[in-house]
Amino acid sequence: MGRIGNWFRKKTSGGGENRDIEVEYLRLNFKARYHSFKLLISANNKSLENMADIERALQGHDVFGMGFIKSRVTAISVSVFSMITHLKTITGGKYPGLEPAFFKIEQVIAEILNPKKPAADPRLVIAFKDVEPGMAYLVGEKMDHAAEVKNSLGLTVPEGFAITSTAYELFMKENRLQSEIERVIQSAGPDSQGPFDILSSRIRTLIMDARIPEPLEQAVRAAWQNLENAKGGSVRLAMRSSAMGEDSSENSFAGQYRSELNVSIDGVFDAYREVVASKYSVKAISYKLNRGVRDEDIAMCVGCMVMVDAVAGGVVYTRNPVDAADTSVYINAALGLPKSVVDGQDTCDLFVVSRAVDYEVIPARIFGDDPLDFVMVSQKEPAMTIRSDIREKKFKVACLDTEGVRREEVPQDMQTEPALSEDKIRELFELAVMIENHYGCPQDIEWALDRDGRLFILQCRPLKQMPIKDMAGNAPLDDAPPPLVQDGLTASPGAGCGEVFQVMKRADILQFPKGAVLVVEQALPAWASLINRASAVVTEQGSFAGHLANVAREFHVPALFAVKDAMKLLTPGETVTVDADGSSVYAGRIESLLRNKPRERNPMEGSPVFETLESVSRHIVPLHLLNPDSPEFAPESCTTYHDITRFIHEKSVGEMFQFGKEHDFQERSSKQLYFHVPMKWWILNLDDGFKEEVQGKYVKIEQIDSIPMLAFWKGFTAKPWDGPPPLDGKGFAAVMFQSTVQPALNTGMPSKYADRNYFMLSRNYCSLNSRLGYHFSTMEALVGDNAAENYVSFQFKGGAADFERKMKRVYFIGELLERYGFRVDIRQDNLTARLEGHDRESMVKRLQVLGYLTLHTRQLDMIMTNASRVIYYRDKMIKDIDALIAGATVH
Amino acid sequence: MENSTKSGLKVLLVDDEDRFRNALSRQLSVRGFRVFEAECGEKAIEMTIAERPDVVILDQEMPGMNGTEAFDELKKIDPFIEIIMLTGHATVEIALYIMKKGAFDYIMKPLNIDELLYKIEDAYTRRLLNVKKTNTGSGRGLV
Repeated sequence: MGRIGNWFRKKTSGGGENRDIEVEYLRLNFKARYHSFKLLISANNKSLENMADIERALQGHDVFGMGFIKSRVTAISVSVFSMITHLKTITGGKYPGLEPAFFKIEQVIAEILNPKKPAADPRLVIAFKDVEPGMAYLVGEKMDHAAEVKNSLGLTVPEGFAITSTAYELFMKENRLQSEIERVIQSAGPDSQGPFDILSSRIRTLIMDARIPEPLEQAVRAAWQNLENAKGGSVRLAMRSSAMGEDSSENSFAGQYRSELNVSIDGVFDAYREVVASKYSVKAISYKLNRGVRDEDIAMCVGCMVMVDAVAGGVVYTRNPVDAADTSVYINAALGLPKSVVDGQDTCDLFVVSRAVDYEVIPARIFGDDPLDFVMVSQKEPAMTIRSDIREKKFKVACLDTEGVRREEVPQDMQTEPALSEDKIRELFELAVMIENHYGCPQDIEWALDRDGRLFILQCRPLKQMPIKDMAGNAPLDDAPPPLVQDGLTASPGAGCGEVFQVMKRADILQFPKGAVLVVEQALPAWASLINRASAVVTEQGSFAGHLANVAREFHVPALFAVKDAMKLLTPGETVTVDADGSSVYAGRIESLLRNKPRERNPMEGSPVFETLESVSRHIVPLHLLNPDSPEFAPESCTTYHDITRFIHEKSVGEMFQFGKEHDFQERSSKQLYFHVPMKWWILNLDDGFKEEVQGKYVKIEQIDSIPMLAFWKGFTAKPWDGPPPLDGKGFAAVMFQSTVQPALNTGMPSKYADRNYFMLSRNYCSLNSRLGYHFSTMEALVGDNAAENYVSFQFKGGAADFERKMKRVYFIGELLERYGFRVDIRQDNLTARLEGHDRESMVKRLQVLGYLTLHTRQLDMIMTNASRVIYYRDKMIKDIDALIAGATVH
Repeated sequence: MENSTKSGLKVLLVDDEDRFRNALSRQLSVRGFRVFEAECGEKAIEMTIAERPDVVILDQEMPGMNGTEAFDELKKIDPFIEIIMLTGHATVEIALYIMKKGAFDYIMKPLNIDELLYKIEDAYTRRLLNVKKTNTGSGRGLV
């Protein structure tokens, strides 16, 4: 400030001191360039950190949502664009090809992130009878299936209408909800379990406060009136979620969304909001995140069905979900509404019906050559109930007279009565098989029986069966202790081990430790958000037809349901092994059971969110511009954001060095390092990297005040280089051959490849471009008191030997760097290593390591095919480095 | 970092979320900035005319005049004002639109307060340099 002030005074007083004015002017310009350079380096660093986040996410250890992708891509785009702007300032616009290259990439990414949607159907409400096959995009899978069963198969499905995806979009748009919700999600921070309930309740409030658009209100009222006219009296409706992608074969979303039962016209719009809001319930947010479903792909359609005041209801599985070899039909039945079955709240009856079987005529020629050996079987076995588990049904869910439903006690004498008669079992079995035949795959069907004995199909969806390979039986137990528990139904097969954690209320969810065994009284859908964190699930109530069981199977988490007194028998904190296949729980860890545990897989792999990140990353992360000396190193060759950042970084460093020379500006020209003798190292002080103003062409190491540079130098000079390693004949021949093929590698020749090392520094920053012998390296570091900003990056390439030896050296260096905490990436013979976020002392030590390696790995490529020499050098280097960073003197 | 630049640095915080704005305001004040607050774009314009802030932290999503609209108005009042856009809803399109217009940066909630502090200082340095360059550069292009 003072200097600038003086200059102003000089200028205005017209002193005519042109040289001073010139110098002051250059100072200001250099300062402006340096500032842009600093911002450029910071943006480069930020973009690399975000790219590393993307690469980590693709390794599949953690789950992530679209919020993660959008925020990372936005951050990288902003950083890269900033770098282009800063380079423009530094160079005066020397590289006009960068912006077009950037926007070309940006365009491709935008198309991946925002795919074009098909033209919308304008209808807000559609009666079931008007739903045609393939209208899932408008009414959701669930209502599409229900309407198909009604219209194509002619089965009894309650009358009703669907509130469409167009209506949902209108509702969201008029209330500006989508962007507001995305804002709330992003502001909640990283995608973890913790803030889900706050997040969910904030979004719910937004939706519950939103206005129903007038055209939607009119359309719903008209549809309701039509139902009442047809029935000749007032109706109550069941309002069911029918979201896009719900009930598909990939993701069942079982029980993730809400249904509102026995709704009157007065409550219809609140019920609509409730169902829409359930898209953001804690369990639904968690499910979408874990299954990699994109929030914007899910429009929430709502099915409105005339309410069946059921005396019994439940779920039919047309196959056994946990045993693909079992062809029986499984009927779960509760008294009252089917809600208690799907919610897993209460126990219910189970009827297992074997299918009718036709044996065919089998010509024995298949088995042998004798034409007389001809077996003919023509036998038909009828379908029959092979198992009836009649359980004590203490509670049922029933409609209230006014509106809504309630759980009420079943009279004592009814509790042990079967929920279905043999006739109804047979009728239901036939309906179920008809539906399965229609769709050609196993089905999960919700049904209800009304007071007049009519069976209604309420919904159906593909039933996911565990693949046979996932159900491999476990090894028999040799000397396992007697089980703590031997009871229950296999809701999801397999075995898992962990500490018992009992969840009794929602607040307990937050405390649930990863890998614990979830033990609960009821198999409520609310616990679904814990499934991916649990090693196994044990419940006292519930059946394998409930939502929680569905989700456990999707996530391959073993689950054992209907275990009497599980909460009493399994003590919190105790380590247990749950054997869901054997319906047993053992104390401790039983290896023989866990041995055949299915391989843990990343549930996100192959999901839409995962694929989106994969596609996007292809235009961001790969680095193609590896060699700055190649003619390909140009803006036009940049096809990824990483290419652009690499190009800009390289050019910006060069430009900063040129400034002093181009403008004959002594104090910002580089100086030659004087370390005992003049060295082939040139140093540019960017800002406050010297302790004092340095006159002349040399700077001594004692005059330098840069934390990272001095750390690097300490490592570099800690131990003198022994000179090139003694060559074996082959190694020498390899180097000689390469030298003749690539004359530039011969240091004896006048070439731009001769040794040259450039440091740029300030007190906290240092960058080094170095060519020592035949290899080329760059190092950059920011080291200060703010650990979050600190980083070191290192790049290494080249060597004089053939490709194999060069590669071996690159891996040799990579291994050493990893040992000292660097994140290493090797592509061809190009090694990059990064480290960030450590405190000053720790960064200084790592820079010493880099300094040491920069000197001592020179020409090591020559001995890289000699295993014993490699081991010798590695051990020696580790010893030297350990001594160096321990602060001891290295001899 | 040039710590000396901080003294007297005037920051205007524009965000409609009172709790967020007040909390951030407190954190910046204790670090020595002079902080002004506005809860909407219109108020931000008034405050910019009255207080002449150096750096503005401007939320993108606000009822009424949003951040992008306010951006243009603030730059008209003071072309050297440095604006850091803030958003809870990251979109690449809006981010690049505003960067092309000359925003200093575009950052996303939740905030890392230390990162924001460095950005404010860097933005202020750029402002000083731009002012100086304009004052001294009459008749001369930049080197």
